Amino acid sequence: MSAAAGGPVAVHQFIATLNPHDATGTHALRLRDALRAAGWHSEIFAEAIHDDLAPDAFKHWMYPEHAAAGDVAIYQFTTSSAVAGYLAEQGMPLILDFHNFTGPEYFAGWEAQSVARATAAADELALLAPRALLGLAKSRFSEEELRRAGCGRTVVLPVLADYGRVTAAPDPRVRAELAALREGGGADFLFVGRIAPSKAQHELVKALWAYRRLYDPKARLHLVGGTSSFEYTKALQDFVHDLGLSAAVRLPGEVSDAALAAYFADAEAYLSLSAHEGFGVPLVEAMVAGVPIVTRPAGAVSDTVADAALVLAAADPSYVAAALHRVCTDERLRSTLTAAGTRRAAELSGDLAVRMVEAVATVVHRP
Amino acid sequence: MSDTGVTLPEDPQAYVDQVMAEIAEEVKVRRASGDLPPKLERELDELFLAHSPVAGRGGDLGDALRMVDAATFIDPVVPVESERAAGAVVKKGMRSLLLWYVGWLTHQMSQSASAVSRALHIVDDRLGELERQVEGQRVPAAGVVEFPELQRADAWWVEPAVVAVTKTPGRILHAACGEGWLVRRLVAAGGDAYGVDPRAGAIDTSEQGALDLRSEPVGAHLRAVAAAGLGAIVLSGTVEGMAAAERSQLLAAIGTSLAPGGTLVVHSVSRQAWEAVDAPPETDLAAGRPLRPEAWCILLEQSGYEATAQPGPGGADYLVTAVRSAITSPYAPAER
Repeated sequence: MSAAAGGPVAVHQFIATLNPHDATGTHALRLRDALRAAGWHSEIFAEAIHDDLAPDAFKHWMYPEHAAAGDVAIYQFTTSSAVAGYLAEQGMPLILDFHNFTGPEYFAGWEAQSVARATAAADELALLAPRALLGLAKSRFSEEELRRAGCGRTVVLPVLADYGRVTAAPDPRVRAELAALREGGGADFLFVGRIAPSKAQHELVKALWAYRRLYDPKARLHLVGGTSSFEYTKALQDFVHDLGLSAAVRLPGEVSDAALAAYFADAEAYLSLSAHEGFGVPLVEAMVAGVPIVTRPAGAVSDTVADAALVLAAADPSYVAAALHRVCTDERLRSTLTAAGTRRAAELSGDLAVRMVEAVATVVHRP
Repeated sequence: MSDTGVTLPEDPQAYVDQVMAEIAEEVKVRRASGDLPPKLERELDELFLAHSPVAGRGGDLGDALRMVDAATFIDPVVPVESERAAGAVVKKGMRSLLLWYVGWLTHQMSQSASAVSRALHIVDDRLGELERQVEGQRVPAAGVVEFPELQRADAWWVEPAVVAVTKTPGRILHAACGEGWLVRRLVAAGGDAYGVDPRAGAIDTSEQGALDLRSEPVGAHLRAVAAAGLGAIVLSGTVEGMAAAERSQLLAAIGTSLAPGGTLVVHSVSRQAWEAVDAPPETDLAAGRPLRPEAWCILLEQSGYEATAQPGPGGADYLVTAVRSAITSPYAPAER
């Protein structure tokens, strides 16, 4: 089915929050450029817009000023947002670009407001998925969720991300700081993602504790990312303190692209034990940066890493520690994983923008 | 050849599989040598749970109300102590100037908070009354029902169960483990196994150094295990007396803790054995009764497993072996 049989058509994007440094924001901006290059008129409408991107987007409630007959909406679905209800009211032809969201069960007992928000997101998915002309899923895992929510037509297309940022010039100040830490010896492990129960940073801390006890008493863990759960962050910090790991577990918060490049450049391994991932952009960034990955098969992780990681069946600290030790000491394994990572990252980027446009063109008349 | 000059394996996946097997072996050796006793890993879990609200810190309404009561009163009198000589005088002056205004605000805030607190106490009282009423209708949790002739190391089903679960990578959990007869067998067969049992005194504490045996109910244990943290689970003497709701909760917990592709093995007695005159007295006291093997297969297939049932030679018991689908989703239609 085509949304418009002829004449000029605009394909606009709607998004909850447009941020310059997050995966969804970058994805939306790149997709807009690709849609425009294909000849469609395309703007971004958001509930919240970062100051740096103010010239690039409009508030979602300003859409009527730009509306024209035959408009099609692509909704970047990441979390609960007023935009979902707004789109349902507008009733315009819809493409759901589904990035997945963390389910309420992962926040249960931690943050009541996060549970409520995640529950609302599930309701919004159930509202919009059956209406969508097309669902663009970031992984097979997410595609399965889209179908269960009632989306009849789906295709898997990964995130349009800026993976080059991790191989750009690293921040010299962060590089020097990390070099100073390494002078005393010890491996550096990295995880990138917001501090939240679903990312299970406490499991990473347990693994570090076991690794230091069994193999390398000077090893460190860098947990890069802002927080979306203050209760969980506090518990994590207290846990780290109780284990005597305050100097070994570093939480630098959200960092610039250059600082992120420095963390990837110095990481011995990228360790992820998340309980849920809708895609896992940092996993691909680790592949691009040539950092071997140790992880477990939760959510879309297995889809994303394919054969380019040590995917552990168990997340017991002793297993994870032994896997990290092997990755740190076995050059053949490191090379095998990083070579596979380079291949896999190419598969997940490449001509994605073109494929996205082709997918949109299956339901919207080309200009 | 890689960029670093290392010769890459011809079959990378086979090489990674071999490495994974070597890692599992390394862990077993480390555990057996006492480098990282199971007790320490348990203590890590408990330590984190102690910081988590899920473990009860503030999770109890009574505790939360005590915190609300303590925070209800807002003190408008600002402390004026200062390390600097003139600081106290300045602060005191500011306090005098602002006290009427701050006092007016805090009076209203304290009144509002008191009203909320009173309302919450009423909710607490009513919830307490509801809990007392519900308690009277509560279905007790199923205990372990032991059929000594059927649950022992030389029973017919043990060998196929061991073969099924040791094929799967990852840790193997046995419930109810008793003194560890199956855990010992699984470890001897090369599995990284441990056990749980809720019965007081069931676990031989002298064995605890050599075997990882934990004194706790299987449901509570599974809810504390990391998602996809187990490669296989063996249930014996555990599910027969369960009511439907408890069985559903157990399956939901298994669904979370069992890795995709993991194996679930259920050994259960038949109804005939359950109702026999020489059956253990716990069978009379249980809220539920054993399912037939076909029912287990249907239940597990609805939950995303591929299940097969094998009847025992004397008709007294049966074995169900189920492999979990490799794709999982929080929206999977499990029996939850």
